[in-house]
Amino acid sequence: MNDLMQPLPGLDVWHPATQQAVFRRLLDCYSHPGRVEACGDTDRAPLTALLATLLDAETSLADPHHLIKAGDWPKLEVRSGTAEHAAFVVANGTLAADFTPRLGTLESPEQSATLLLLVNSLVNPLGNEQARSGGQCLNLKLSGPGIPGTLKLAVSGLHPGWLSARADWVAVFPLGVDLILCDSRGFTALPRTTHIELEVC
Amino acid sequence: MTSHAYNFGFLDEYAKKEVRRAILKAIAIPGYQVPYASREMPMGRGFGTGGLQLTLALIGPDEIVKVIDQGSDDSVNAVNLRQFIEMTCPGVSTTTCTAECTLLQTRHRIPELPLTAEQIIVLQVPYPDPLVVVESSENKRKTMHGEADYSRLLVKLYEDIVKYDEITISHRYPTRINGHYVIDPSPIPRWDVAKLNNSAALLLFGAGREKKIYAVPPHTRAEPLVFSDVPFRVEDFRDEAGQRRVCARCGCANSFLDEFVGDAGNKTYQCSDSDWCDEQLQRAEQVQGVAA
Repeated sequence: MNDLMQPLPGLDVWHPATQQAVFRRLLDCYSHPGRVEACGDTDRAPLTALLATLLDAETSLADPHHLIKAGDWPKLEVRSGTAEHAAFVVANGTLAADFTPRLGTLESPEQSATLLLLVNSLVNPLGNEQARSGGQCLNLKLSGPGIPGTLKLAVSGLHPGWLSARADWVAVFPLGVDLILCDSRGFTALPRTTHIELEVC
Repeated sequence: MTSHAYNFGFLDEYAKKEVRRAILKAIAIPGYQVPYASREMPMGRGFGTGGLQLTLALIGPDEIVKVIDQGSDDSVNAVNLRQFIEMTCPGVSTTTCTAECTLLQTRHRIPELPLTAEQIIVLQVPYPDPLVVVESSENKRKTMHGEADYSRLLVKLYEDIVKYDEITISHRYPTRINGHYVIDPSPIPRWDVAKLNNSAALLLFGAGREKKIYAVPPHTRAEPLVFSDVPFRVEDFRDEAGQRRVCARCGCANSFLDEFVGDAGNKTYQCSDSDWCDEQLQRAEQVQGVAA
């Protein structure tokens, strides 16, 4: 997993123009949950590009699985927090969920966490195509706002515990958490409104 | 001071990041008014600063922007905002053509031409909270929104029916998003409310003075608040004889019309959406050209 954190040739993720481009792709993912977007030609892995795009000193980040390079923390400028209290939590998707992030309140549901989970691969399967090998594969059938009808998302390297935990976390709308899944090429978003059905591989 | 003295998009990067985080939360919680630190803009609050901050946080150098005010590209508010965007976002192009734009900032109208999934529409909002007419305390309103308790708003609508036989809200019609939050869809006419429902394009709402951002994601239910026995009604453009009025300029019979009163007190009607009107006129001229 460490090789995802090594520099790639491409656009500087710390540059505002790169961050604007990454944000617009992430915005497309939020508008169309489950749609996998390529991160684009950035010099760092999609996870780092997203963190650089979203974070500053006004918000907090938890990294319970130590996925962020020590040298990136000062550049992110973000306050460090615990997984239970931070606004953003980065976690290794292959490991089981072992914390409860903040879910917001009835009056202020925006004070809930956004989880960025690093997984092995993400793909919107066409027909019977499966996710690429590499860990356990989950086929998700998604519906809800932003999705006309249903959309299929195949994820490998996501511990199923995240989905059952998420189901509890988002059970009482408007409380909940929003998930962003990242692989080595791109990302997708699963906001709290998205209904996830697990299909057997 | 030259335009180069400004950051791209005028706002500093921290302001953009905060607006961007608020936008994502707004999409994840459809219809919820996400609070944000609305920045001071070089124009008065109430002149579209909320919409402008959304536009500037979204905009990239390849953007094609259209700005309208009450359907028109040429009214003062639209021209000022467009010039400001051109000045502070070098590389961005602007258009008046609805089909061409990738980002559309609007005051109080949604274009007649259906928007596509590749477009984002930003609406300027003066009053974001539909509950403000029945509850003055924001703390209480936030609880009511959280519980989706809109009973007092429904009573208000019911009182209208008792007094006037009709719900008298002409614009800013309260609309329920994805079965939970009720939004003030900004002062769009009732005519435009249906365009919120199951829209292909993302709709973002920015209230600069009230420091709120909210969203209607694409393909999301948006239902005007009504009673089962009193259906929702849009503006009626029929004349005394029951004939649908047409645009005096292009002849369109299915667009939202503005009323103009002439010097002699005579009334004429014209499309509110100026780009739509131009398109219809051009099409009519082409047809005439072919016929000739």
